[in-house]
Amino acid sequence: MLMKHVRLLVLTEDLPQASLALAETQSFHPDTRPPTEMQLNELPGRAYRDTFSQAQSRLNKITRLLPLTATFERSAVRVVTFTELNTLNAQLGALWNDASRFEEEFRQLDDTERLIKEQLTALENFAHLNIDLSLLRNKTRFLAFHVGLVPRENLHQLEDAAQLAGYILLIYQQQTDQAQIIIVGPTENEALLAPVLAVAGFQNLPIPVELNRKPAELQQNLTEQRRVIAEQRLALHTRLNQWGEPFREQLQTAQHTLMLAEPLVTLDTALRSSGHLAHLAGWVPAPAVAQLKQRLTQSLTQPFDLASRDPLPDERKLVPTVPIKSRVLAPFALLVKQYGIPAYGEIDPTPLFAVTFLLMFGMMFGDLGHGAVIAGTAYWARHKIPDFYLFGVFAGASSMVFGLLFGSIFGYEEILPALWMSPLHDPILMLEVALVWGIIFIIVACALGIYNRLIIGDIKGAVFKRHGVINLLFYLAFLAGGYGLATTGAFGTFPSILAIVTLLMLAAFQWQHLHAPTGEKVLVVVIETLDTIIVYLSNTLSFLRVSAFSLNHVALALAIFTLAEMMGVFGHVVTLILGNIFILVLEGGIVMIQVMRLQYYEGFSRYFSGDGHAFTPLRLAK
Amino acid sequence: MSNAAAQAYLNTRVSVMSTRLFTPEFTERLAHLTLAELAEQFGLTALLDEQATTTARRRAIEQSLLQMLLIDLQILARLLPPAERAVLLAWARKYALFNLKTLIRGKLYALEQKAIRDHLFDLPATLRLPHQELFRAENVLELLRQLETSQYHQIARQAREVYEKQREPFALEAAIDQRYYSSIVRQIMGLDHHHLNALRRLMGAELDRVALLWLLRFRLTCQLSPSETYYQLVPSTRLLNRELLLRLVNFDTLERVLDALPASLNTLLAGSHDLSEVQRRMNQATHRDLHETLVRSQSGLARALAYLMLREANLQSLFIVVQGHLLQFSNTTIKTALELNDTSHSELRAAA
Repeated sequence: MLMKHVRLLVLTEDLPQASLALAETQSFHPDTRPPTEMQLNELPGRAYRDTFSQAQSRLNKITRLLPLTATFERSAVRVVTFTELNTLNAQLGALWNDASRFEEEFRQLDDTERLIKEQLTALENFAHLNIDLSLLRNKTRFLAFHVGLVPRENLHQLEDAAQLAGYILLIYQQQTDQAQIIIVGPTENEALLAPVLAVAGFQNLPIPVELNRKPAELQQNLTEQRRVIAEQRLALHTRLNQWGEPFREQLQTAQHTLMLAEPLVTLDTALRSSGHLAHLAGWVPAPAVAQLKQRLTQSLTQPFDLASRDPLPDERKLVPTVPIKSRVLAPFALLVKQYGIPAYGEIDPTPLFAVTFLLMFGMMFGDLGHGAVIAGTAYWARHKIPDFYLFGVFAGASSMVFGLLFGSIFGYEEILPALWMSPLHDPILMLEVALVWGIIFIIVACALGIYNRLIIGDIKGAVFKRHGVINLLFYLAFLAGGYGLATTGAFGTFPSILAIVTLLMLAAFQWQHLHAPTGEKVLVVVIETLDTIIVYLSNTLSFLRVSAFSLNHVALALAIFTLAEMMGVFGHVVTLILGNIFILVLEGGIVMIQVMRLQYYEGFSRYFSGDGHAFTPLRLAK
Repeated sequence: MSNAAAQAYLNTRVSVMSTRLFTPEFTERLAHLTLAELAEQFGLTALLDEQATTTARRRAIEQSLLQMLLIDLQILARLLPPAERAVLLAWARKYALFNLKTLIRGKLYALEQKAIRDHLFDLPATLRLPHQELFRAENVLELLRQLETSQYHQIARQAREVYEKQREPFALEAAIDQRYYSSIVRQIMGLDHHHLNALRRLMGAELDRVALLWLLRFRLTCQLSPSETYYQLVPSTRLLNRELLLRLVNFDTLERVLDALPASLNTLLAGSHDLSEVQRRMNQATHRDLHETLVRSQSGLARALAYLMLREANLQSLFIVVQGHLLQFSNTTIKTALELNDTSHSELRAAA
């Protein structure tokens, strides 16, 4: 789609309104380059953005505690002024200040529960210690005891530091990241040890007073404490909900306000101003410019200026590409996107990719039964993979169509009459078909590559660069010569001359554009020229795999039938089922990878740069 | 493939890069260069921005210099396998920790977000803290709780515990620094023998310097107890090991500490009367070791790290000069500051 570069000049106070109008049209992709006018060097949206970010963060933190479940109707679109945003931010700050106390209480409950769990573990360990544990609870006149937890990574350093203060450190349990320890030393050195324990993250582990009671009773006691904590957590939830109930409406309004403020924040990086004049630039699809101007005229009360122009040649890489909007092509577009996004002006390969992918997949995995399973499974999973299930349905359907042509159903070749023939009946013909298919594929790919270069004005590149016109002529000469060699036994004079001339032209072009010492230039040009011959030969032969896999599919099915024949009735059925699953999963996966490889390496590398970026217009959040 | 062959490209890159290091003559000349000359020579265009405030220019220059270092780091790190790359990143993580300290101080003293942001280093994704989330924290505890969910969770957890108990940034920052050096030592200890000894030696020199300076600072200046001082230290992999540190922290005067040092350090520091003199001499010795590693080490990784540490020191010298000029200090003051930061020129020459 043709794009226009637009430049909007508005009064700074009109920016929030302008941003909303632009967001409503959903056709404005911001251009973040600073304007050429040096005076436009202020960042009018920066303070607004910072306040918005803080308010949004506060709202997110509050709603993490108090989820907003009720849906709300989007009310009329209105401007959120900086003053309103500031007030909202302050209100949310005050709310979060209160809400964070609840969060802290939840965390304290978690910490207490963790400590009780540690105590339970400690209890088990104390039972094995052959000392009077009641002594550990209190300081004696001369000795002080510290029982507790310390992070394992601090253990050795703490052991040495405690030793310096005259204490002994004993480890009685080591867990994943914590160690349970006892530190014993003179009471008089407590002042020396305390700061070390503090920096080492030592956590005191209270020894149960009732140590002389039965372990089961103690355990019951600690379990009881955990139950109390669970109750406290429940009560805290209730308190939190009671506290939050009056604020729910306020929070929903805040959410709506922030949603309306978001467009201006998104525009921040593209905004520049000087005093009262603000500048905003972006990319708009050509057909949408008039609508954009109309919307701004309706929205803005103050004067504004909207200028549009075609993208300049050196701006091509900056122009976003509007993706093809088609539900059918959407899953194929996802696969194309893995390689890259079409640059502006470049042909979007998605439709061609979809057609060639399905043709190759179907031919390589042609089976009515297997195709139906793939299509059925994809349709069954449509709710789990809503963006991708159609891909499976189409691939399965293609497999089914080729299954009918080949007369193959779950590997059986005899049940269904073939509309064309089974691949194994004439493998040579299959290989020839694949070869012709590959030749057409490569020629079309080169032609598209040439077109893509011409469209951006790179005429020299379209003629001389790799996969350009000269390269294509060489390929055609190479093919003609190859055909002659196969049919008459001679390469032919004209193809030979054309191949040599085109190769020399390619070599001359490379020589001219290579900046290196003569020796290195000779080496590089010779290797590159040889590479051209080898690449085109190997790329063409690469398509033989299309027929090879169709033969492979039949051969694999035959192998499974042979195995099944060797079994009894039950074994026969099981082997057939497992064999078909094996074919579906393993061969299906391999075929998928092979087709992707052909598309990416033999196709995309010839005509698709993939270095564009997607059109992401400013819009109101949903 | 032999170790030498595997490291050939890295070694070549380090050798090429090390030609950028300041020569002793250049360092001597540095203090006399004007701001315009510095801007031209190092591409520091922000220096010439007359409209910006001194603070803004200083920050811009600091950021530019850091970017120079980070570009070198990225080039070298790209050439290394993951375990070795992790050592370089662990060393460079100090800048993320500077940011962490800035954030903590900012939250502690309730500074404006802009004031905090202005003092943060712009770092690549491999080193960066989750800034946006941390910014949005409303106080230190919330900040540290959030940090606990990031790659800095170990530091964050300990820092939070320290803060909850002591509520003062000194102990917290000491904990962060201690963690930083411990994590580097851990990374190094996980390497194979090709690099282990060279890196132990290299990092040992740095740890000797850090351990001695921290020991003197905590014990003599802050008057911490021997046990608390010891806990804050990171034992070196070279001279100031665990046993020695346990002994040294018991001394309460500079002379007694210096007397108890191993012979090589004792000779180096003989006659030092104050901490700044000790710092200057230890810096010299460390830089000498770094140069030696850069020139002679068999380990490409150790050479790369030595180069980065020296480059960092060079850029610090450059920043000192820029800052001195911006604050209109005299050349003598700038030279004194340079001496504290940099190594003795004659000794550097000898090492080279």
